[in-house]
Amino acid sequence: MSDKEQMIDELKSIVKPYIQDEKAFENMHEDTDFINDLKINSANLIDVILDIEDKYDIQLDNESMDKMLNIKAALEVINTKISEK
Amino acid sequence: MVGNDIVDFDETRRSSNWERRGFLQKIFTTNEQLIIDMSSDPNATVWHLWSMKESAYKVFIQAGGNRFFDPTKIECLIDSSQKGRAKINTTTFWTKTSINSKYVFSTALLNNIDIDTRIFRLNQKSSKYQSDFMHQQVIQDFAERNSLNSSEISVHKNKKGVPIIYYKNKSQNKSLSITHHGNYGAYSIIKN
Repeated sequence: MSDKEQMIDELKSIVKPYIQDEKAFENMHEDTDFINDLKINSANLIDVILDIEDKYDIQLDNESMDKMLNIKAALEVINTKISEK
Repeated sequence: MVGNDIVDFDETRRSSNWERRGFLQKIFTTNEQLIIDMSSDPNATVWHLWSMKESAYKVFIQAGGNRFFDPTKIECLIDSSQKGRAKINTTTFWTKTSINSKYVFSTALLNNIDIDTRIFRLNQKSSKYQSDFMHQQVIQDFAERNSLNSSEISVHKNKKGVPIIYYKNKSQNKSLSITHHGNYGAYSIIKN
């Protein structure tokens, strides 16, 4: 499994408790949108952000958070933050 | 244009914990956090401000604004128990909020126009059911108000997720906002 696939897998387990669309969740890929596809409500999206912070031991400031609308963007932000550690 | 948002308190108790470390800081500006700290009912104030932000954001998107996710970009002020203001960049949205032990409901407007709002208790939790139910209500009420045949009216979301009313497949150019959460749903529509 590539690093990217592994991270998508990790993200999958992070978002699982909050998703409201099983089908989109099963088919989750890079372009999957947290709100439009997974139907995560916006309060729970904050939980996703906090869970990501805990999992990767990174701090997501509001500016980076603002970009995290889909999986691809989230992966980019996480990788940048990890590389800055 | 109108935007609305409803928050079911029971549902938030089940699905959100705003006391979680870092949660409030991600959503609220320093000033808003102060309003929450000083409130006699912090839980209600958290969701009051939240619903103001959501409803203002919906108008912002309808007005052609680009999606964003950082909630601290929306700065809220509560002027009275009902009235408030939410600012995104340099635009001010005027909000009205009603709150009871079950839910908090806010609407946001860009200017002083009349709107019709209906709030419903929903018996099922599935997102699909709630969305379909709300669309049906909008269609029925719109048909009645305008003496039209409901079978010729439909509601579809556009690419930005904004609900649009169609009559005979023609967009009715009437700002509409729909919200559902927990056991409650509401729609708000610009009056004739």
